[in-house]
Amino acid sequence: MNIIEIKNLSKVYDVKTIPVYALNGIDLAFREGEFTSIVGPSGSGKTTMLNLLGGLDSPTGGEIRIDNIDITGLKSRKLIDFRLRNIGFVFQSFNLIPVLTAKENVEFIMQLQGVSKARRDKRTFELLKSVGLGDKINTRPNKLSGGQQQRVAVARALASKPKFILADEPTANLDSKSAENLLEIMEKLNKEEHITFIFSTHDARVVAKARRVITLEDGKIVGDVLKN
Amino acid sequence: MNPFTDKSSVMIFKISFKNVWRNKVRSFIVIIAITLGLAGGIFTASIITGMVEQKIRTGINNEVSHIQVHNPEFLKNYESQYSIPHADSIAGIISKMPSVRAVCSRTRITGMAASPNSVAGVQIVGVDPLQEKKVSSLNTTIPDSGGGYFKGSRKNQVVIGRKLADKLKVRLKSKIVIRFQNTDGNLTEAAFSVNGIFQTSNTTFDETNVFVKKRDLDLLTGGDNGIQEIAIMLDNIEKIPVAETALRTRLPGLDVENWMEIRPDMAMVTSAIAIEVYILLGIILFALAFGIVNTMLMIVFERTRELGMLMAVGMSKSKVFRMIMVETIFLTVIGSIIGMVLSVALVGFFHQRGIDLSSVSKGLGAYGFDPKIYPFISSELYINLSLMVFCTGILSAIMPARKALKLKPVEAIRLE
Repeated sequence: MNIIEIKNLSKVYDVKTIPVYALNGIDLAFREGEFTSIVGPSGSGKTTMLNLLGGLDSPTGGEIRIDNIDITGLKSRKLIDFRLRNIGFVFQSFNLIPVLTAKENVEFIMQLQGVSKARRDKRTFELLKSVGLGDKINTRPNKLSGGQQQRVAVARALASKPKFILADEPTANLDSKSAENLLEIMEKLNKEEHITFIFSTHDARVVAKARRVITLEDGKIVGDVLKN
Repeated sequence: MNPFTDKSSVMIFKISFKNVWRNKVRSFIVIIAITLGLAGGIFTASIITGMVEQKIRTGINNEVSHIQVHNPEFLKNYESQYSIPHADSIAGIISKMPSVRAVCSRTRITGMAASPNSVAGVQIVGVDPLQEKKVSSLNTTIPDSGGGYFKGSRKNQVVIGRKLADKLKVRLKSKIVIRFQNTDGNLTEAAFSVNGIFQTSNTTFDETNVFVKKRDLDLLTGGDNGIQEIAIMLDNIEKIPVAETALRTRLPGLDVENWMEIRPDMAMVTSAIAIEVYILLGIILFALAFGIVNTMLMIVFERTRELGMLMAVGMSKSKVFRMIMVETIFLTVIGSIIGMVLSVALVGFFHQRGIDLSSVSKGLGAYGFDPKIYPFISSELYINLSLMVFCTGILSAIMPARKALKLKPVEAIRLE
């Protein structure tokens, strides 16, 4: 079943009044449980694609339907709430809140959703345990390694029980061991809990793990390979 | 959703409070600025209000008392022929009224005081010293070197102010001639011996009032000069309005006035100073607001990426706005609480000890101010000030919080 359907999606930036197509007439669909990498050279439109899928930016044309809801037509407030309840984000620079512990960083998404304390506590512990940080729940980000911080970010992205997770270059700031470890965790979550992951990446290790690889170039899809 | 029961509100408070301590040095600088600004402002205000409060207290105790009763005609030209009819029985009735602590009757005549060196126009106040002491604390303003307050039983004693004594160039036991027109219109004069020299904080009062025994005045004129003034002290200044109304009802033909009506200059100073104090504190808070806005704007710029992330993952703009507001208010409230505590300690300490400005304040006495100041701040001012500080915090928070709202998550999260 498709959870994301993209039709004729385009994003045009005006650079000194000359239109530059970051994305140009993209048609695409993502199925539930996919583990997809979007690859391509710098400026090919990967990040733009992720921003549009996450409702962080608005397209110039076309539509994005998530669970049959056209998010391009949602007003700002509804779109923020939609993101909170449907989309998980993992950023290249982790973007954890430095004054909060690992537990609090994961928990606050559920607080925004209005989840009760008992349920929050239980889920936070389960999530941190699932990313291998069960013993670091009360540790602040500055006491965690880059890899550990990104794992907390993955747990945070999962906290809201999203329909899919968008990860923008998640391994870019990690050493190879941490990157490997993180990918294993995400792969395991995908296989065991059918969580949909969509990455934008340059990292060959991520591409190697992905079961679908979409290649962008000059804002167009030039390759869409489904691995066995 | 109620913002105070909303689960995310607890989280916003928690994050905001932790954020305050993120850059400890900067937060401490802001807190110290608020603390010192507020404590300095309150202390200055306490000196001003202390001066005024003291002026009023000494003015009431030494000069006007809480309420005075006169013949309405007397107040027009201060002519002594307009005395209060049946003054003794009226004073008796007043003394039995609730809240009345003491009553005294006075003869008031406009006249002259003359010495071999000089002459001055004065108000001659004929009193019963024992009765007078219960209403007025003028006797306590006579220093050890200033003699006494009608000491001994000799006739024709006069108690005068230091300023008048200097003007007439007289000392204790000097003779001065007191001259006035009696109720029949005849000019009367007699020599009086200076028995005491008082010194209040109001040099104008000291220069224009002489106190003699009423009995001596009556003997001098060979008849009763009447009572032109009944002065009343209550057990509490707050009871003036009630007592005043009761007196007006019971004494319909007489003029009943409270201290503010008798001395509108004192009342005016009170209200003018209150406004001045608020203006002073307003200026201080206005300056502090700029400091707070500057700091919070810096914080918003520093945390652009983090705020972008919060909005990206689903924190609504209203919550981001609230978070910055709460953070600013926390900073302001912490600084204010410390500032308040410090000012309470400062005001309390100097209220006990007093601040002696006698070496630099010769002019103060001319305006009825005591050179030794006892700083004072009313609890009402503290409450109002707390509200002003809280409002300053909220107003200072609006601009940085609005700045945060304008951030676009897609741009903010990419910022390095």
